[in-house]
Amino acid sequence: MKGYIGEFEELVLLTIAALGEDAYGVAIKENIEKRTDRSISIGALHSTITRLEEKGLIKSWLGDPTQERGGRRKRFFQLTNLGISSLREMKALRDELWDLSKVKLAFSA
Amino acid sequence: MKDHVAPPRLAQKLFDWFCADSAVEDLRGDIDELFYINSERMPLRKAKTKYWIHIFSLMTSYAVKKRKRPTHKQPSSFEYSMDMLKSYFVIATRSLAKHKFFTIINVLGLAIGMSISLLLIAMLINVSTYDEFHVNKDRIYRVISKTNIRNNWEFVCSPIPLAEKFKSEYGGTAEIVRIDKSLSAEAEFNGKELPLDGYFVDPNFLKVFTFPMVKGNIATVLSKPHSIIITQEAAERMFSAEDPIGKVIKMGTFGEFEVTGILKNLPKNSHMQFDILAPYALFEAIQRTQPISASVNPWTVLERSYIYLMVPEKNAETEPDHIETFMNQVAKEAYTEDMEVKATFELQALTRIVPGPEYVREIGITWEYTGFVIFGVLTLLILLPACFNYTNISISRALKRSKEIGLRKVVGGQRDQIFFQFIIETIIVTLLALGVSYLIFTVLRDEFTAMMVAAEFLDLNPTAFTLACFLAFAIFVGLVAGAVPALYFSKLNPIQALKSKSSSKVSIGSGFRKALVVGQFALSLGFIMGVGITVKQHIATLNYNFGFAQENILDVKLQGIDHNIFRNEFSKLSAVQNVSMSSNVLGVSGPASVWIQKPGEKDSTEVLQMSVDHNYIANLDLKLLAGKSFTDQQESKHDVIVNEEFLKQFKITSPADALDKTFTLAGSDGGRGEELRIIGVAKNFHYSDLRRPIQSFLFRYDASEFRYANLKITSNEMHSTISNLEAVWKTIGGEKKFEARFFDNEIEDAYSFYFSMIKLCGFLGFLAISISCLGLLGMVVYTSENRTKEIGVRKVMGASSTAIAVLLSKDYLKLMLIAAIIATPVTIFLFDIMLSGTQHYRIPIGALEIILSLLLMLILGVGTILSQTLKAAKANPVDTLRCE
Repeated sequence: MKGYIGEFEELVLLTIAALGEDAYGVAIKENIEKRTDRSISIGALHSTITRLEEKGLIKSWLGDPTQERGGRRKRFFQLTNLGISSLREMKALRDELWDLSKVKLAFSA
Repeated sequence: MKDHVAPPRLAQKLFDWFCADSAVEDLRGDIDELFYINSERMPLRKAKTKYWIHIFSLMTSYAVKKRKRPTHKQPSSFEYSMDMLKSYFVIATRSLAKHKFFTIINVLGLAIGMSISLLLIAMLINVSTYDEFHVNKDRIYRVISKTNIRNNWEFVCSPIPLAEKFKSEYGGTAEIVRIDKSLSAEAEFNGKELPLDGYFVDPNFLKVFTFPMVKGNIATVLSKPHSIIITQEAAERMFSAEDPIGKVIKMGTFGEFEVTGILKNLPKNSHMQFDILAPYALFEAIQRTQPISASVNPWTVLERSYIYLMVPEKNAETEPDHIETFMNQVAKEAYTEDMEVKATFELQALTRIVPGPEYVREIGITWEYTGFVIFGVLTLLILLPACFNYTNISISRALKRSKEIGLRKVVGGQRDQIFFQFIIETIIVTLLALGVSYLIFTVLRDEFTAMMVAAEFLDLNPTAFTLACFLAFAIFVGLVAGAVPALYFSKLNPIQALKSKSSSKVSIGSGFRKALVVGQFALSLGFIMGVGITVKQHIATLNYNFGFAQENILDVKLQGIDHNIFRNEFSKLSAVQNVSMSSNVLGVSGPASVWIQKPGEKDSTEVLQMSVDHNYIANLDLKLLAGKSFTDQQESKHDVIVNEEFLKQFKITSPADALDKTFTLAGSDGGRGEELRIIGVAKNFHYSDLRRPIQSFLFRYDASEFRYANLKITSNEMHSTISNLEAVWKTIGGEKKFEARFFDNEIEDAYSFYFSMIKLCGFLGFLAISISCLGLLGMVVYTSENRTKEIGVRKVMGASSTAIAVLLSKDYLKLMLIAAIIATPVTIFLFDIMLSGTQHYRIPIGALEIILSLLLMLILGVGTILSQTLKAAKANPVDTLRCE
């Protein structure tokens, strides 16, 4: 697999996927914070997003100006094909490991 | 949404400023939105704080960093390839070679500025190696006594019972070494005499400290009381080629010693320096025979012996804190309420002794922190102006190079690349300067070692490490001096740099540059005035009326020869007019002090006393205000001659009243209760050096105290007279060396510290003024060059050369005037404080030396300026206007 995806990166990618059309900075942050019950800094989030974009796993575009943020446009994100396949590979690897596990991990056997 | 709920404006501004014109609209939008969400959830203050946190979090994030970068992919500025470095180097050397004049000025200025720093670095490195050669250095400590004596003196000595207490009660396997440095005497062997100095030490001295032996058995060398260890170097002086082991040398009153061991020569960087070592047990035995010591509580003897200890290995028990607590517990018991002297103890690690804080009665050489601080400040005062010069000259030449930089930027040069290029250029200059500076340093080093007493133990020959430090220092100076111009150049806007033709840019920072010139000249002027003031003080001291005759008095050390025999033999010589005896040499060193009291009173007063014979008063031409001098039949030690200050102290109104008044000696010494009767009153005179005020003083006639003979010589043929005197000395003194000095020479010697100061001030002044003049030269050359056209036009219009020279010089003269106005009062004030600290009787700072210093600086400064402006003024306008 080309490039390594970190845990936080994976989390961000999956959240973008989950948010669909509405994936932008604040929404991603709130979503992750709510789900994982951990506080993430806006700087760290945007750094990660920037890196993901550099790696070509996501793409972005600017939306229309809205009143709620002083007329500033939102930047929306979407998984690229490379991003999707990376996530798939990641999941496949995980599944394989789960299946191979000698310790009883699964909830039902 | 309420209107007043808005993110902190300052934070927004900061963010916008930081991101400048990068595309961060969406990021700003995100944090603003977060703020509005937060302001619903939490108090406004908290939301605002959060907003600040978000701002900083984003500003330091990769997201902003990436977006701030220009859109096209740049090679990271720190990936400097060898090619780029090579290119910088080539460009720098070309540019330096092209402007040879400025390069020379810069290199010279920096070299002068750095030379003294090199000295400081070499000194610091050497001093930091002190006592590092001891194998057990980390486990050895010295006991420091903090006392209430005088102004809370801190001794490096400690009371001996402490060592015993420690050994018996603290236990453990710590080694305790007691040291006493009173072992110094004229050593005698086969009729050869040599002064040898050394320590009485406990036998484990050599086990604790690493002083390797050449010959002898470490375990037994000091086991017998009269055994002695001698260093190789001293052994060679004493025994020449013979094998010293087993030889017996006589050490004055200490008796005879057998040499049992030879030590390798001591490293120079040891804080202990000695020729010989003898057992401490012998010292104790000698002490026991002295009656005085029996009556004194040994805990109050704080200024005698030294205690060093070595702990077995590092653990909680052997931590210095733990030992200190124990010692101070002991001290609490030892120093009872009714004792006058109190002390507490502290441990000082061996490697912290040199350089270290200031203590009383150091065992050997010390380099105190304060000295280094003063030296460091002086170094900076010299180094910084040199760096400023470089900065100054570089920036004022900005115009010449702005085209180059503009072009570089246009073809894609990045800010940090240009910055780096200029830094490399500066570092090349400082490295060149280092070469020149090193030459100056080698000259300085010898001067310096000759000037300072303790410097003979400094090894300033550079090691590889020192050289590496020099190199690092040069690069550091390059960074400091080059940072401002490099930043300035890298910031240039290429469009303006390429377009601008006028010299409007040069005025940037000109106020700052003027301040630098003023500062430099003020500093130089301060040093020059310092020399002037000190020279005058020195001359005045030598010609000071001490209140007694100085000329033609030869002081001869008696060295134990009976004064009567001496007097008889030397009086026979025709050149000797008069012979008197005394216990001290007047005007040089302070005499001993005694405590006396009025009969019937309890309080005693300190009075200085000196023993002289009946000829003394007449011989030295001391004036008696009342009474008479001693007679040659003088038998009574109770008659005294006092000075005027004595009368003042005891409130006696007239000299005549004082005669026949009696006083008694107080104090613990032998003469307690002895009665003193005044037989004469002498006019005040300077018995001690001029640094101290005249105090109550008295002369007594005590033949047992005579140490010096004072011969009044009347002869034109000094040389033959001295050899005559020596011949007479041979007949009575035998092998002992004839030690005689003229009074005025002695006094000259006593004030030789002025010489060191003159040298130091003079040298620093020389450095400072060279740097200032070089800086000035650079600036004047630059402005003259820049104004060539203007001068040409002026000349065509009919201006005279003089008028133009004045025009060009005027600004700089103004700066020098300001420097003089600032420096003069400050220097006078500083030297006034310093002189009043060192010398009680001094002459005020006069106008003459101030004016002379000002003139000197003016001549040098004006000379520098005129040398260039005249050239520019004389240039033919046809040439200057034609060339384009």
